[in-house]
Amino acid sequence: MKKLLITLSVALLSYSGFAQSNALQQAVSKLDQAQTVTDLEQLEKTFTGISAQPAWLSSYYAALCNAKIGFLLQDDGEKIEPYSNRGEEQAKRAIATLDSAKQHKELAEAYTVLSMIYRTKVFINPMTYGRKYGMLSDQVLKQARALDAQNPRALYVAAWVKYATPKMWGGDKQQAKQLATQSLQQLGTPGTDVYPHWGKAEDQALLSKIK
Amino acid sequence: MKTITYILLLLSVSASAQNKPAALKPAVPVADSAIKDSAVNSTNVKADTAIKSKRSLHEVVISAGSFEASDRAKGASLTPIDAVTVAGSNGDISQALRSLPGAQQIGETEGLFVRGGTGEETRQFIDGTLVKTPNYPSVPGVPQYARINPFLFKGILFSSGGYSALYGEAMSSALILESVDLPEKTSASFFLFPSNMGTGFQHLSKNNRSSYGANLNYSNQSLYNSIVPQKPDYFSGPAYFNGNVNFRVRTGKTGMLKFYSNWGYSDVGMRNPDIDSAVLKAGYQAKGWNSYSNLSFRSYLNDNWKIDLAAAFSYNKEETNRDLSDPKGNMLKIPFIPYSYKTGQRTVRTDFAQLRAVVTHLFPQGQALRFGAEHFYTNDRGRSNDSALILADHLTAVFAEGDFYLTDNLAAKTGLRMEYSSALSKMVLAPRISLAYRLQDGSQFNLAYGVFYQQPGNDFLYQPNKLTFSNATHYILNYTRRANNRFFRAELYYKQYRDLVKTVPELSNNGKGYAQGIELFWRDKKSVKNLDYWITYTYLDTKRNFLDYPYQLRPSFAAPHTTTVAVKKFFQEINTSVNVSWAMAAGRPYYHISNNSIADQGNTNAYNMLNLHVAYLCSFFKNRKWKDFSGVAMGINNITGTRQVFGYNYSYNGLFKSPITLPATRNFFVGIFMSFGIDRTDDFLNNNL
Repeated sequence: MKKLLITLSVALLSYSGFAQSNALQQAVSKLDQAQTVTDLEQLEKTFTGISAQPAWLSSYYAALCNAKIGFLLQDDGEKIEPYSNRGEEQAKRAIATLDSAKQHKELAEAYTVLSMIYRTKVFINPMTYGRKYGMLSDQVLKQARALDAQNPRALYVAAWVKYATPKMWGGDKQQAKQLATQSLQQLGTPGTDVYPHWGKAEDQALLSKIK
Repeated sequence: MKTITYILLLLSVSASAQNKPAALKPAVPVADSAIKDSAVNSTNVKADTAIKSKRSLHEVVISAGSFEASDRAKGASLTPIDAVTVAGSNGDISQALRSLPGAQQIGETEGLFVRGGTGEETRQFIDGTLVKTPNYPSVPGVPQYARINPFLFKGILFSSGGYSALYGEAMSSALILESVDLPEKTSASFFLFPSNMGTGFQHLSKNNRSSYGANLNYSNQSLYNSIVPQKPDYFSGPAYFNGNVNFRVRTGKTGMLKFYSNWGYSDVGMRNPDIDSAVLKAGYQAKGWNSYSNLSFRSYLNDNWKIDLAAAFSYNKEETNRDLSDPKGNMLKIPFIPYSYKTGQRTVRTDFAQLRAVVTHLFPQGQALRFGAEHFYTNDRGRSNDSALILADHLTAVFAEGDFYLTDNLAAKTGLRMEYSSALSKMVLAPRISLAYRLQDGSQFNLAYGVFYQQPGNDFLYQPNKLTFSNATHYILNYTRRANNRFFRAELYYKQYRDLVKTVPELSNNGKGYAQGIELFWRDKKSVKNLDYWITYTYLDTKRNFLDYPYQLRPSFAAPHTTTVAVKKFFQEINTSVNVSWAMAAGRPYYHISNNSIADQGNTNAYNMLNLHVAYLCSFFKNRKWKDFSGVAMGINNITGTRQVFGYNYSYNGLFKSPITLPATRNFFVGIFMSFGIDRTDDFLNNNL
């Protein structure tokens, strides 16, 4: 009887584990398609509720949703802050979950999203938030690239920054093009599993804006 | 002085236009305190934002009567830099704010004339302390510069009515300024324009917990005036010398101790044709020595208690000389009216000190109770020709104010302020109430009511008198909506002035008046990329009986309609920022008052002022340690060359009048500026990440 119970509970546990990772996979696939703030808000809630392993991924994806919302709202400074604040917390939680000695690639992913989150804080009002968060965003992105120089998502964010920054503060459209192209090459045929694989659509969108 | 502002203005305009203004701002501390405030440790975040973060549970924020420009502005809300970088502001915060609704376009003197009030009825407060003389001594017909750099502030609250019980002695308007905390980095800067030059530095300690700095500015307009002829014939200056020092120390986890001291000297001497005679010239010279020092401390005592302490001392000496001279330059003394009035000397020395303490108790849900007291001490000694001018006054105020949330969408701020003046031997009580109601779509209605007392000006108190406080009662209804990087605001108000000072037939408080109007403000940062503009409209209906007015009149500083436009655009590809401001106002009334009746009156031409500032930004040295942010700036004020008439001076017999106009039709400037900063980004990040 006791054995049976144990077996049963092990089975249940692994089933719930399976269900969780299944939920994560589903949410990630949905995220690949998400376009609007409403979609992303929904997904952020979903990711927050998922406890699948590896543990950092749910926080990572929740933060990514908030980063994307911030980019979509970049012309509506009044609304961004709550998303940025939540995203910052989630990205930092993802970083804290990771082993800084071993998981360099994963850390690079999380730092990349944190860098995007800081970028969204700049959108709140570049005059008041720009200097502090622009600087933080750059620094965090540097950390990401130091951990994984060829991370395609870090390359994409670097490309975006080069594209969006005015010339006199180091912006450079050609360099942006180069970085986005490099990012695309690294992406090759992106996977579809739960490990971060986004970036292709973003690279293409950016490249289409650069002549 | 004015040039430094041009520089910062240009730099900051460009800053707003891009996403990474990381190392942009030069040495003068601008609104950059956010970095240390929020990054050093999380308690500091709490220190400065506790009230706001608690309040974010409710998004309704009391805002009737005020424009707030803060370093935490979101979307299309004003930042301090937005507010002070308006073309044509001459480095004077009160001139810059004339581009906001409620203020009049007054070209002949300094100060902020708000909603039917005089410039004297608007007061500036820095970190809680009153700045008695924000500008250099007044000179007839020519506005004088401000002494304090408008970029010193990280928070600017321009209240055109209905402000908090924590402040008083300003009947019409209060300008509540909060100085910056620690600078972002160590830096040095200088600028060189033909008539203005200056240099300064800020040093930030290695541990990012303290800083000190100093600036020196010198301005001499004589070279410029020899190239661009001015209407008055200047025989001295205009010259202005100004220095300031500061230190700022972070104490404990949430404390901030700040010291700022500003001292200056000015000399303006000019001659104009005398209006009562064909050949004589009337001379006027004003010299001023001034210092203003402010020591302030703020800290949280624990999670629920906060204190704000401040002490200020200022010394001001003004010496004015009036003379008459014949065409050969000989000084004359003519012993009969009106000429006998035209020669004379006057010197006034003023010591002014203030102590202030405010205690705040924070309650859950963002509610708060504030209470405190302040004491103002004024001591004037002087001479006007042969008569002595003496005044000593102690003014004490105690106040309390509460912030309440009645529901999630309804907030109230109620306060009471009591003042006692020893010079008047009078005590007054001023109640203040504001309400804010937030609608579903995020827009807000605000209501405010308050009584605002102000002592008569020192000039009236030198002679024996039975004067009391003048006062104004404000009623304000306001609507605001912010969305999509756009900001709309409309405000309707009614004000009643009582006990205004009358000088004719005798010195009394028998004056009164009213003001009412509607004001609109629209700002849009979204519609055109990298373009930021705002448009305002002010309607003002006001009449008052004060000073020598024979009965209630529309005062000479009130135009019924005013429109302003401010446009800022940064052209990224050519590193150039362009800043345009335009103001138009209907004509103002003017009067010749003689023997307690109006001998002549009329309306001036409409006012129409277009200003343009352009800056090209560059970097001369690309060294990594010492990055420089430099540029060339130029500008023209009154581009269209419109002949602005602000009013008329009448001859004694009333037969002649001469217009009060700009000293020169157009005003030009061009110059270079550089700022060097040690880029300590890495230090900062290593310490804080």
